[in-house]
Amino acid sequence: MNPKADVLVIGGGVIGSAVLYYLCKEGVRAALVERGDICSGTSGACDGNILSIDKEPGYDSQLGLLSQSLLRELVDELDYDVDYTQRGSVLVVEPDARQEAMARDWMQRQKEAGLPMRYIEGREVFDSEPLLARDVIGLVECASDSSLSPMALTFGLVEAAKRRGGAVYPRTEVQELLRDRAGSIRGARTATGEFTAPQVVLAAGVWTPHLAGTLGLDVPIKPRKGHILVGERTPDLGFRKLQEFGYLMAKFGQKGVRDVEPGMEENGVAMVYEPTGHGNFLIGSSRQFVGFDTQCDLGVLRLLARRALRFFPALRNVRVIHSYAGLRPWTPDHCPIVSAVASVPGLYIAAGHEGDGIGLAPITGRLVSEMVTGRDTIVSIDPLRLERFGEGVAKSVSR
Amino acid sequence: MAMTDDVIVCRCEEVTLGEVRRAIREGAIDVRGVKLRTRAGMGLCQGRTCETLVARILVSELGIPRERVLPDRVRPPVVSLTFGALAGEPK
Repeated sequence: MNPKADVLVIGGGVIGSAVLYYLCKEGVRAALVERGDICSGTSGACDGNILSIDKEPGYDSQLGLLSQSLLRELVDELDYDVDYTQRGSVLVVEPDARQEAMARDWMQRQKEAGLPMRYIEGREVFDSEPLLARDVIGLVECASDSSLSPMALTFGLVEAAKRRGGAVYPRTEVQELLRDRAGSIRGARTATGEFTAPQVVLAAGVWTPHLAGTLGLDVPIKPRKGHILVGERTPDLGFRKLQEFGYLMAKFGQKGVRDVEPGMEENGVAMVYEPTGHGNFLIGSSRQFVGFDTQCDLGVLRLLARRALRFFPALRNVRVIHSYAGLRPWTPDHCPIVSAVASVPGLYIAAGHEGDGIGLAPITGRLVSEMVTGRDTIVSIDPLRLERFGEGVAKSVSR
Repeated sequence: MAMTDDVIVCRCEEVTLGEVRRAIREGAIDVRGVKLRTRAGMGLCQGRTCETLVARILVSELGIPRERVLPDRVRPPVVSLTFGALAGEPK
């Protein structure tokens, strides 16, 4: 086997699938290779939040907002039921003067960045979320936030790309990236043969550094493990996506701001509640650097349940039916890498989205298709460049 | 007797044989691949009823031996329990 394509995409998670879809939409002859089945890694072990509220106010949150508007177009284009709902999301504020001040400041900064924000307090808190703990003092709302099934989105993108001529090769593990004598990318060697392509997009999430390493590139992505609990079908628990304000502290690694029991800060535990399209709900979250281990840790699951009860006391008698853990591709500045690689002409990286991969998949796919076809990008890509991590990082060892 | 596509395979999530067959046509080759595409096995019983049925459908559709069909990964809880019990609260 020696398949040829104009662009080879490596990775069948939501990012690689979105890149493939947007390329095929532009009429590019593209192929995708995936080590296992489509959606068998991080994208099949996450939640389906499409959020702008939790991104750094400014460029990051505006990128989220733009991706949300692209997603609304995608939902119509895919012809695949992805359980999409746009009900907004809220950050739950605890009775703590410092937390309240930080929450109001966050809301103001997001508003200035152009997000549809609102601060909800007093009776309206419990009118909209009657089962929340009674000591909650406020909610920071972002109306554009939405939710869907991450698996359905990934499969939907792949099926739609196939209909537009995309070639998909599951169970095809890349062993090495290949360069020509001039140092440009020329394809990839897999367990089942060589794939030849003048342009290659590396979208392998937490496995990206390993593959980039075959060219001597150093990509600063690390696996950050996250646990999720699945609750039984429960009507009227909570209408929209909720997360504690302290989730931002856990995401950005700020310890000591919240008053929580031992173990919570160490494991990055913060309450996230997401109703799914089928009446179940998901409870997160945790953040741990423990390598590539995806076993569920019962101690961490217990902390998730305890944190959920702090905000939703009514969950006490509701059943947990399942749990899972996935590896989020973390970068040092919490921004993804969507970038050409200066030292290897023809090579692009689209990875490092941590917990934002589902939400940022549309904008990532769009940006990569614009870069690959040499058009102006819809938004500046400077903050997403690989080279932002330092000159030495992107330098490849020449052969 | 041939089974028709409208036969329910996963009772919890009301997934039909036709939907399982479609998932296999889209590329599923194991129980987890079918689950992520159709929700079969994601419900209250967590595949206790349908996992075997899904495995048998994979065998007949793909023409592979039963031993080659990978089961889904076992995740806690093995028996569903309440959030209160998991949190360690007294009964």
